[in-house]
Amino acid sequence: MKRLLNLLPPLAFAGALLLIWHVATDLRLVSPVFLPTPARAFGDLAARFADGTIWEPLGATVQRMIFGWFFASLVGIALGAAIGLTPLARDLLEPTLEFVRPLPASAMIPVAILFFGLSENMAVSVIAFGSIWPVLMSSIYGFGAVRVRLQEVSALLGLSRVEFLSKIAIPSAMPDILAGMRSGLAVSLILAVVTEMQASLPGLGRDIFLAQRSFRSGELYAGLVMLGLLGVLINHGLQIAENRLLRWRPQRS
Amino acid sequence: MTLASTKADPASGASAPVAVSLRKVGVTYAMGRPVLEDISFDVREGEFLSIVGPSGCGKTTLLRMLAGLLRPTVGEALFDGQPIMAPSRERAIVFQDYTNALLPWRTVSGNVALALEKTMPVKAERDARVAQLVEKMGLSHAADRFPTQLSGGMQQRVQIARCLSQEPRIMLMDEPFGALDAMTRQTLQDELMALAAERRTTTVFITHDLEEAIYLGDRVIVLSANPGRIAQTIEVELPRPRHQLTTREDPRFLAHRHHLFGLLQGH
Repeated sequence: MKRLLNLLPPLAFAGALLLIWHVATDLRLVSPVFLPTPARAFGDLAARFADGTIWEPLGATVQRMIFGWFFASLVGIALGAAIGLTPLARDLLEPTLEFVRPLPASAMIPVAILFFGLSENMAVSVIAFGSIWPVLMSSIYGFGAVRVRLQEVSALLGLSRVEFLSKIAIPSAMPDILAGMRSGLAVSLILAVVTEMQASLPGLGRDIFLAQRSFRSGELYAGLVMLGLLGVLINHGLQIAENRLLRWRPQRS
Repeated sequence: MTLASTKADPASGASAPVAVSLRKVGVTYAMGRPVLEDISFDVREGEFLSIVGPSGCGKTTLLRMLAGLLRPTVGEALFDGQPIMAPSRERAIVFQDYTNALLPWRTVSGNVALALEKTMPVKAERDARVAQLVEKMGLSHAADRFPTQLSGGMQQRVQIARCLSQEPRIMLMDEPFGALDAMTRQTLQDELMALAAERRTTTVFITHDLEEAIYLGDRVIVLSANPGRIAQTIEVELPRPRHQLTTREDPRFLAHRHHLFGLLQGH
C-alpha cells in the first residue's frame, strides 16, 4: 500500500506532462507535422503491436544491443581485473586506454564499416566499443579496491590465483561491475539506434529515421516511446538482478 | 592427532617441544626506520604467549612475521625448525579488524567454509564440519546471516571459527578483542582460553591491554617502543582454569600488573 502511494507523485508528474503535450498539440500550438497528439503517438505504437510489425525491428535492436553489451562486459571485466589487480598490466595498458577512451563511438562507425561492411558485426563491434568504457572503468576501480586484508586472508588460506579471483576478487568487485554494466547497457541502446540510422540496418532506429524522412510523425514518436519503454524495462530487470546478486549488502532505505 | 601424546601440559610447558623460535630478529621498513630490533624468544607447543606493548612497538609486525606475511630483515624466524618464508595453513591469524577480514558476501557458514573448501571437497562432509564449528562458537542461530547483520563480537567469533576450521598448529591473534565492548571481551577471553586448553593449540596473543595479557597468558613478553625490543618476559604461574573475578583479584595477578604497569610507564 505504501509502495503504491509512493508511486502516485511520479505518475502524476508524467500525467501532467502528457496533458501539456495533449493541450499543446490539440490547440495546434505546434504543427502536427512535428508533434502528433499523444493519443496518435501511443495509438500508432499500439497499432504496430496489434499488427505485429513492431516485433521484427524491436527484436533486431534488442539483439544487437545485447550482443554488443555482452561482449563489452566480458572484455571490460577481464581487462578491468587485469588492470585492477596487476600493476604490470596497468602500466602497460592504461596510457593506450586513456588515448582510445575519448574517441566517440560514433566516430568508429566508418572504421567498423571498412572492416565489416554494413553488417551486423559492424553494429555489434561499434556498440561494444562504446559500451565497454563504463564496465571497464568501474571494473578497474572494483578490482583495485579489493581489501588488502582479504588478499592476506587468501594468502593465509593458501588459495590459488583462480580461487582468489572467483571467491574473493570477483564478488568483492561485483557491486562496481554491475553498476558499470548498467551504464554500459544504456550506452549500448544509444549506439544500437545510432548504427541503425547510420548504416540503415533494420531496427527501431531505422524506423524512426524513415518515419521522420516521410513526415509520419505519429510513427516517429511511437518509436521514441518504444525506446523509452525498452530503457525502463531493461533498467528494471538489471535492478532486480542486482538486488539478488548483492543481497548481502545492507539494505538502503 | 598422533602428536597429542607428545604435547605436554601448558603447566609443564618448559619440557614441551619448541614450536616457534625467533633468533635475533630485526625488521626495518623501507625508509630505514627499524620497527623491531634484536627479538629472541621461543614459543613452546601448547603454550599461550601474550605479547603486550605500547602502540608503535611493532607488535603487529611481529605477528605478521610469524604468519609469514613479511620476512625479518635480519635474524631468523623458525617454525618447527624451518625458516618461515610464506603463509601456511598451519599458522592461522585472527585480525583485529574482523569487519575487513570476513567476506561480506558470504554468510556465517560460508565464511567458515572458505577455509575448508580446499581440504574437504565433499560438500556434505564439509557442511557437517562447518555446522559443528559454528555451533562451537555459539553462532548456530546466525549461521545464515551475513556479517553486516552481526554485532562486532559475533563477527569476531566467525573469524575465530574460520581459523579453527584450518586446524592450525598455532593461532596468531592480533588484538582480537580490542574493538569489542568490555562484557563481550571478557566472554570471548574465557571462550578462547577454553578452546586453547581443549585443543592444546599454541597461541600467540597480541594486546595493548596489560590485564588481558596476564589473564590469558602462560607467559607475557613486554615490548618497548621505537624500536620494538623485548623489555621483559614474565612467567604467569596463575592456576587454570582462570576466572574473571578470582584470578583478577589474586595477589599474584595484582603483583604482575603493578610490575608491568611500572615497566610500561617507564618508557
